[in-house]
This record gives sequence, structure tokens and C-alpha cells, in this order.
Amino acid sequence: MKPAILELKSVTKRFRGLVATDDVSLRVEPGTITSLIGPNGAGKSTIFNLVTGYLPPSAGEILFHGEQIDGQSTVAIARRGIARAFQIAKPFPEITVHDNVRIGALFGRDGPRDVAAVTEAALETAGLDDFADRPAGDLTVGYLRRLELARAIAARPVLLLADEPCAGLNPAETDEICDILRRVRDRGTTVFLVEHDMEAVMRISDRIIVLDAGAKIAEGTPDEISADPKVIAAYLGTPEEP
Amino acid sequence: MLREAIARQRWWILAALLGLAVLACVPFVLMPFHVRVGQLILLSTALGLAWTLLGGFAGYWSFGHTAFIGLGAFAAGLFETQMLGTPFMRAQPLVGLGLGLVVGMGACAVVAGAVAWPILRLRGIYFAVAMLGVAQVLSELTNSIDAFKGSMGLVFPRIPAFGLRQEAVFYYLLLIATAVILAIAFAVKNARIGHGLAAMREDEDTARMLGVPTERYKITMFVLSATLTGALGVIYAHSLGYITTGSVYRTDFSLNMIVYNLLGGMGTLIGPMIGSVIMVVLTQVILGGFLNLHMFLTGAMLVALVLAAPRGIVGTWLAFRRRRRDAAA
Repeated sequence: MKPAILELKSVTKRFRGLVATDDVSLRVEPGTITSLIGPNGAGKSTIFNLVTGYLPPSAGEILFHGEQIDGQSTVAIARRGIARAFQIAKPFPEITVHDNVRIGALFGRDGPRDVAAVTEAALETAGLDDFADRPAGDLTVGYLRRLELARAIAARPVLLLADEPCAGLNPAETDEICDILRRVRDRGTTVFLVEHDMEAVMRISDRIIVLDAGAKIAEGTPDEISADPKVIAAYLGTPEEP
Repeated sequence: MLREAIARQRWWILAALLGLAVLACVPFVLMPFHVRVGQLILLSTALGLAWTLLGGFAGYWSFGHTAFIGLGAFAAGLFETQMLGTPFMRAQPLVGLGLGLVVGMGACAVVAGAVAWPILRLRGIYFAVAMLGVAQVLSELTNSIDAFKGSMGLVFPRIPAFGLRQEAVFYYLLLIATAVILAIAFAVKNARIGHGLAAMREDEDTARMLGVPTERYKITMFVLSATLTGALGVIYAHSLGYITTGSVYRTDFSLNMIVYNLLGGMGTLIGPMIGSVIMVVLTQVILGGFLNLHMFLTGAMLVALVLAAPRGIVGTWLAFRRRRRDAAA
């Protein structure tokens, strides 16, 4: 088996009494779009916060390329090549779209880079060329999501964490985001996606991992997942006994 | 990256150099009173720029930057008068001033470095208040420990005038200091660190997620800002000739550094320059005749300006230009 790009081993996160993720083990294989789904409160965002070093796990290990990264700072993890696009787009509103993306290119993963070229490429991948000179604060929600992705792409990540990039978007905008994520994967960046839009998830994912109430309940291809009774139960509830 | 910025902004740089040349002629043309006003404008501009290295660029507003004016002044004063002694200072006053600058700046760098780690973990208003506390503590220590001579006062040795009047000497010292601080601020703003700071000012957590080493940057800017403020404290103390705690640890210094930036435009280089010129001309020249009403009018005007143009003069101008361009497009 090829080494996973990201591996969680028995990761548990407790907030005082509340167990947000309970002994979760999962693998994200290189070159895939792997989606993490589950009902609200299943622990998806907590996993992203743990992987990016925003929160420390209470127990368990997080491995990136086989090396332990839990306990490292957010900055150190970003410099290793994990970038995150936020659910609630957090652009730097006072500066232009171009300069927002350029911040990603100036920082992000360690190593040599051509800042101008990386910025242009990220703007193009996200379809933002025409908006480069506008202040980020002027963008609509759909374009803010693209900016969020473009900035993360400019950080030249090995692993891109995309936190509900389609939430609240219309079908046309959702299609655009799916195309961007496919382009990112096809250029060699592994995508780890949290998303509520099931249709989008089924369409673009190579692998799907299902969480419910902090625990992993299923894992597989889109077809396997959509047929899994445990998943259906988690989303729709168990039918009442006759 | 700096080279590109220099090429892109060459007209601004040319204007700055021209301005410098014009300002260098001022003492030969103007009356002593106006040279003294010029001195005050330069001191205010330089203080505003030194403050903005942290406050404007990183978004960490210090409400107690006078701590470093006082610390620089007293460290240099004690060193020059107690360690070097009067005979040395009489024989080598310029060497004395140079060493005083090194000691004053060194003291600020050490103290800033020591308090940076705990207090820069605080954000927003908590950092501002912590700095207020730092200034208060340093001021009290200087005042109550006899060895620091804060309550008795320190007499600074005279700086030779080279045939110039005394106020012209300090005018030139402050002109050089302003030029140096402006050059440093320009370099920082246009370097990689400057872009990282801009990201941090807008959203620190997001900046960290993008790999901006925010902790290191904050501490660097805090120490740099404190050290340059300390250098200005040393020059200012020499221009006064005699200092007590109250003459260098001044809350109005701390506040004015913020006001210049607010008025002119936070996070810009031209902002604190415009802000300080307006404030000094207004308070010293125009309102100078209404001593009773002076503070009242200054305060009222500030409230009006912040309400009318919360982004400062530069920010308001840029927003106006953008609206016009959008309307034309």
C-alpha cells in the first residue's frame, strides 16, 4: 500500500465533557479528492482544526507523509504544505483580489517559487483573472469562495483542505467550484473536502468517509457510500419498528 | 521585491528626496520660532512613523509608546552624564551623543524584547492597555528610584552647533532621523514581511493558516518600533537640555502618535506625515493664540474628523478615487 498523504490514528478530541471526535482513524490517499461527510455536529470541522494545528488532539496521532504533525504550530504545518480554504470566506477585504492571492504565494509551503507566476496560475485556476484588481470586499459570496480557494492554491499545498466550498451557492456556482477542485487534483494536489452538498460530493469524490456523532461509520467509493444502510440511517434516521 | 517597489514608486521617492532637500534649506530661511515649529513637526512625523511600524502595519495599537521615549532618554542621559562624565562630554560631545543613541536604543530593544513575548499574545484592546501599563510602570520606576534621577532631573550636555543656532542643530538631527525611519518603513512595507503584516492586520488566524510567521513578525516589528522611538527620545531629551520623568514619559506623546496615524491614514507612510503636519500647525500655530480654548478645540476637531473620515485623509481619498473610477467604468 502506498503511504497515505494524511493519516489520523485513533484521534480523539474532547472539549471538557463533549467528545467531538471519538477514536477516529482515517487515511487520505495521494492524488485523490477525499470527502468527509456527516450530519451537523459530526466532528468534520474539528478534524480540519486538528489537522491544521488550530487545536491539539486530546489523544491519537496525525501523520502527514508519515511524519507526526500533531503538536506543531499552525504556521509550521502550513509551511509543510497543508493549506485550508475556509467555509466562511475570510479574505483580507481591504486589499485587492490579486494581492490576497499573492499573500498565499509569498508564504505557504516552504521552498523556492516564482511569486508572480504562482499568483497568476492560482487566479486562473480559480477563474478570477477578471477580478484581480478589485478589492476583495467587493466580491459576491460565490466569488469569495473562489478567492478563498485561489489563495489556498497559491500557497502551493500538497494537501488542500476545503471546508464546505459549496455551502449556500446556486447549482451553477457549485459546478464551478467542483471544476476548480478537479483541476487542483489533476495538477497533483490532494484534496480533502468537507461538504454538505451531497450531489457535489457524489460527483467529484474518489473516496468518501462518513462521520456521525464524532465517530467514523463508513468509508468507500461514492457508490458504496450511497448504498450503505448505516449512512442512510445517519442522515435520515432509523425507520420506526412496525 | 524591494527593487520592484522602488521602480514602481520612483516618483514618490523622487518627491521625498526633493522634499528633504527643501526641508534642509529651511533653517537658513525661516525665523527661529518657525524652525522650532519645524523641529516639532519632524519629531511628530518621525514618532508617527515609528509607531506605525507596529500599530499601522501589524494592527497592534500601542497606547503607551511614550515608554520608549522615556526609556531611551533616561538610558542615554544616565549613560552620558554618569558613565562618561562631564569632562568627556565636553571634549567629545558628538561621540557622547552617538554612544548615548546606541545605549538608549539598546535599552529599548532589550526591554521591548523582554515584554514582547508575553504582551504580544494579547490582541486588540488588551495589547493597547498592556502597553499603557508598561509606560506607567517604567515612568513610576524612573520617578521613584533615586539612581534613575527621574524626580531630580538630568541635565544633558550641550551639542556643538558648528556655527548654527541651537534649534537648527536639532532640526537637522530630527530631519536625518525622520529620513532614516521613513526609509526603514518603506523597506518594511514593500518587503515580504510587509505583505505578511498586512495579512496579519486583516486577520491573524487566516494569516497563520497561510504560513505567515506572525509571532516572529510581531516581535520583530515591536522591537524595531520601540528602538526607533527610543532614538527619537534620546534626540528629544538633548533638545530639551534638562529632563524629569514628566517631560519624557508623557501620555500626550502616546496619544498623539495614534492621532497622527488616525488623522492621516492608518497603515500608510504618507498618513502619519500628513497627520503630524496638520496637528502641529493647528495646535501650535493656528490655535496657539487661544491658549484657553486650545485643548477644547483640538479635541472637538478630532471627534469631528474621526466621525467624518474614520479611515483618515489618505483612506478617504483612496475610497473617493475608487468610487469615481467605478462610476466611470
